[in-house]
Amino acid sequence: MFRIHWHTFWAMARKELIILSRYPVEFVASFGQVFLIVAIFTLGGLMFSNFRNPMDSETSGGNFSYSGVVVYGFILFMFLSDTLWSIGYNIRHEQVQGTLEQLYLSPANKFLNLVARVTNILLWTGMASIAAAILMSSMIGQLPIKNPLLGLYLFLMSLSGTFGIGFAFAALTLRIKEAAQTVANFLQFLFLILCANFFPFSALPPFLRFFSRLLPLAYCVDAFRSALMGFPAGFPELAPFEAELVIVTLFGVFMPFVGYRLYCAAERYGRQAGTLSAY
Amino acid sequence: MNEPSWRSVFSIVLASARMRLLTITRYPGQLILDTFIPIVFAAMPILLGRAGGEENAAIAFQRNTGTANYVAYLLIGSSVFTIVSFAFWHVAYWLRWEQESGTLEALYLAPVQRIWIAAGTALYSCGRGLFAALTAYFLGAIILRFNPIQGELGLALLFILVGFIPLYGMTLLYGAVILKVKEANALVNLMQWSVSFLMGIFFPITVFPPLLKTIALLFPPTWMTNGVRSALLGIGFFLGHWYLDLAVLWGFMLLSPLLGYWVFHQVENQVRRNEGVGQF
Repeated sequence: MFRIHWHTFWAMARKELIILSRYPVEFVASFGQVFLIVAIFTLGGLMFSNFRNPMDSETSGGNFSYSGVVVYGFILFMFLSDTLWSIGYNIRHEQVQGTLEQLYLSPANKFLNLVARVTNILLWTGMASIAAAILMSSMIGQLPIKNPLLGLYLFLMSLSGTFGIGFAFAALTLRIKEAAQTVANFLQFLFLILCANFFPFSALPPFLRFFSRLLPLAYCVDAFRSALMGFPAGFPELAPFEAELVIVTLFGVFMPFVGYRLYCAAERYGRQAGTLSAY
Repeated sequence: MNEPSWRSVFSIVLASARMRLLTITRYPGQLILDTFIPIVFAAMPILLGRAGGEENAAIAFQRNTGTANYVAYLLIGSSVFTIVSFAFWHVAYWLRWEQESGTLEALYLAPVQRIWIAAGTALYSCGRGLFAALTAYFLGAIILRFNPIQGELGLALLFILVGFIPLYGMTLLYGAVILKVKEANALVNLMQWSVSFLMGIFFPITVFPPLLKTIALLFPPTWMTNGVRSALLGIGFFLGHWYLDLAVLWGFMLLSPLLGYWVFHQVENQVRRNEGVGQF
């Protein structure tokens, strides 16, 4: 049984990789885009520092060093954004192309179709993240890497939970169809603010910080960058690290199951109502 | 074939714009999001700057950009970015959409010049972009607490309106690329970020090395953004006076649409002679 699932997964992942390789312009353009986004936000941030004369730190944004905060936050944001679009919204492509219903007529495991998209994200977003991290740290300063193993654990748990969000979003896409594009955009920006990917949580107004504390993903960002920065004073910002570790672990373990259950429910509804191929 | 009258041309432009307006009114959520995206965008560097203390942020920002009002500076950048980004998305995606839905070839068989249909799309895009940018600016001013009615509002608006024409001329150049290469999504994304980078969405272009600065000055949106910022915040026009900067935009206004149309026409003919416009 496992072997069959593995073969199905591999065939679907291969299909995704072949599609990726057939659009070389898109491949190169999306890489260039990451560099540009990084450069724009980094230069924007530098306007608040005395970057022309780094020795004079009196008015260079205090003693606040933001390379770790920005770079690690950005990496997690890239994965979240790609997950929303690649796993979640891309189910629309199958619907629009008319292949979603056909998939349901085949004896293959349908959920693996979703999981296979993870391969692309791991490969492509992983590469883009490394490139972005190198570029950003070259522009705004040395990147602190203090607890690599702990950081890796937190990263994997955050990634697993993020994929769970992607599955849940795929379920939502099946229900709300084209409006999912707007919702994906909205969620992306909502997470960008509430998870404070580009700035410390202390910069958020208190009432927004309250909403941040309701999101497990915010704890992922906080714990991940605090660990890699070596827990400087004031970090983590949302809760004691032990509490954040528990939240991130629970999020990483349970969110994929929750997402999967939601996807199954949406799929069942679509099949019963005959709306899987309607778009 | 008789040349169509101006009345029929006007009616084509309006019909094309109306069709797109009708489509977007079916997605009101998207219209609301259009307003909030520039605010969220500007909020990123604002919050990052405030993390080091609000007073320090203003002092450092003043030193680097010429104004301590960083909230307005950044919000103006992201609002103009919305206009630029919409221009590229709407024109390039219009072509791609017609290609994918199989109606582009049919359009070539209609007794209508494509340029007027494109003008309708541009008109719709101008309206939507201007609405989003203005609402984002005024709403952002309320949320982020600064006075939006400062400086020369009329002059700022003039820079935007004059800048529209060269901007849409540039999108024709880009439409030609889409027609040729086809992969619209990635290219539009890349282009919108490239232009945002070059026009200095969150920073003055003086931070660029000389070569990059020269390239940035060849982009009409750079003059548009700086014109709006200078009119509202008094950071200084590139050539010292508003009328000189505006004259450069007028120059672009004459050159850019002609160049765009010529390139688009050449590529269009080439594509029609080879694989045809229906293939995507």
